[in-house]
Amino acid sequence: MRADTGFSLVELLLASAIGLLLVSATLVLTSQAEGTFQAQPDAADMQQRLRVAVETVTRDLMMAGAGLDVGAAAGPLNRFFAPVLPYRIGAWQPAEPGSFDTRAISIIFVPHGAPHTTTMDSLVGATGDVRIRLGAGCPVTDTLCGFREGMGVVVFDDSGAHDVFTVRAVAAQTLSLELRGTQLSRAYGAGAHIAQVSVDTYYLKSDPPSGAFQLAHYDGFRSDLPVTDQVVDLGFEYYGEPRPPTLLRSLGEADGPWTTYGPRPPEAEVDDPRDTWPAGENCVFALVAGSHVPRLADLSLGGDGLVRLDPASLRDGPWCPDAGVPGRFDADLLRVRKVAVTMRVQVASSALRGPAGVLFARGGISKGGERFVPDQEIRFDVTPRNLNLGR
Amino acid sequence: MAAEPGLDNRGSTLLEVVIAFGVFSAALLMLAQLFGMATRSNRVAREVTYAAALAAQKMEQLRGGLWAYDSAGGQLTDTSSDFSCVPEQPSGGTGLLPSPSSALTENTPGFVDYLDESGRWVGTGEAPPSGAAYVRRWSIEPLPSDPADSIVLQVLVISLAGAANAGSDIAGVERGAARLVGARTRRMR
Repeated sequence: MRADTGFSLVELLLASAIGLLLVSATLVLTSQAEGTFQAQPDAADMQQRLRVAVETVTRDLMMAGAGLDVGAAAGPLNRFFAPVLPYRIGAWQPAEPGSFDTRAISIIFVPHGAPHTTTMDSLVGATGDVRIRLGAGCPVTDTLCGFREGMGVVVFDDSGAHDVFTVRAVAAQTLSLELRGTQLSRAYGAGAHIAQVSVDTYYLKSDPPSGAFQLAHYDGFRSDLPVTDQVVDLGFEYYGEPRPPTLLRSLGEADGPWTTYGPRPPEAEVDDPRDTWPAGENCVFALVAGSHVPRLADLSLGGDGLVRLDPASLRDGPWCPDAGVPGRFDADLLRVRKVAVTMRVQVASSALRGPAGVLFARGGISKGGERFVPDQEIRFDVTPRNLNLGR
Repeated sequence: MAAEPGLDNRGSTLLEVVIAFGVFSAALLMLAQLFGMATRSNRVAREVTYAAALAAQKMEQLRGGLWAYDSAGGQLTDTSSDFSCVPEQPSGGTGLLPSPSSALTENTPGFVDYLDESGRWVGTGEAPPSGAAYVRRWSIEPLPSDPADSIVLQVLVISLAGAANAGSDIAGVERGAARLVGARTRRMR
């Protein structure tokens, strides 16, 4: 027998209610799933970019100021010049010396185990050949002291002057150097220090019309490349030694270090004819009644803790080696012991960003829900080890 | 007309339909949890990343404290910096003097601070202020073999959200937590 009765109205209603409920649940889930599938890979990608950016900057910043391993000039570079600068340096589009850009930092260091020695000839122009002394900073069996064609080298002396060159050619014990830039800071006499160098500028590269925001790295010469995309904010703050520099030993002694930081001044009656400072003085030490006193202020507030260096104090002089030198820097930069970095990254797709505000530096078209991935910001500190050897 | 043998023309009963729907919704529900898991694992990854970075930040702060010899060989020790602020204050704290032994296990004023979701400093003291997402504790201890001139620094960062779900942890690993250990030895300035 076949039952020909249909559904009762109650059955029908119940069945369609359950059916509708199920369909609506499926739809909600599908929409959520779509949002999740879109948002989560981007969120993971953003975290990854933040991590890479932090690690890249930390790695180089950690090394800032690493100097020569052996010899009379062994020790951190801030006994000679400022190895951390708050602006872009290098051959291409360098910032005005003495400027301050909160979104850029330049770091100078001598890589571990890099060749270093002193010159035997003076260097007076943007290009020149110098013979080098085969001394303690050279690999034993190498007649070129480990210097190779194409290498970047820094030449510096006791006055605070320094310049970066490219090794154009090498012959036995002689290097042909070419300045990375247009103007030599000053002529270097024989006996200047020369070492392989790493110069790194990190800065925020932004182009609002195209929406390109990147953390970029410039090597001071020819390579200017993005490190990570979607970095929407970058900021550097500087913390420094509160005490002014002091002399550690008699200036007549052959081996340093002579100062706690900063270039050593000439002896009381001696004048360096190349600079504008009076006899016995330089950019960090003045001469009062025949004895050396620091030119820099005492910033300590009843303690030895690091103090924040006011950006204004980093661009108002005194200038090293002096105010007229093209590659001059503010003597207060020699104080830098710690850098605080603030970095902010966003998701690439504007469909995942909400209206501009606290959560989003650059607004998008997201209306919330699953497709809502706020910017990530992080502040981290780096205490360059070589700048804190005496701390 | 008689029904063909072997063919049952009766529909499903309501009970059968309800059970079928029940099974189907259970499957859907499990699927939905999967998306929740994807979101959660990203959040945990984020917590771990931040915890590690925040621990490193405190370590860098502590490395900036004065711990050296002067030119005559005398000991120089930071005894005044307050490291429980970001940035640290040059006075008002105990610098690199040893911490109480419980500094890593409980919130000890002077050796703890609190940070929000973005790692911004929101306060210090015994109890987390509102908005705190991470607790950061640190200890400063003399190295047993060289108590006068070497210190051991430890930093522990705990995610408050992670600690609340700590039940489902892999053995011994606290979720969203990071621990860093470092040492400092005096050097001649």
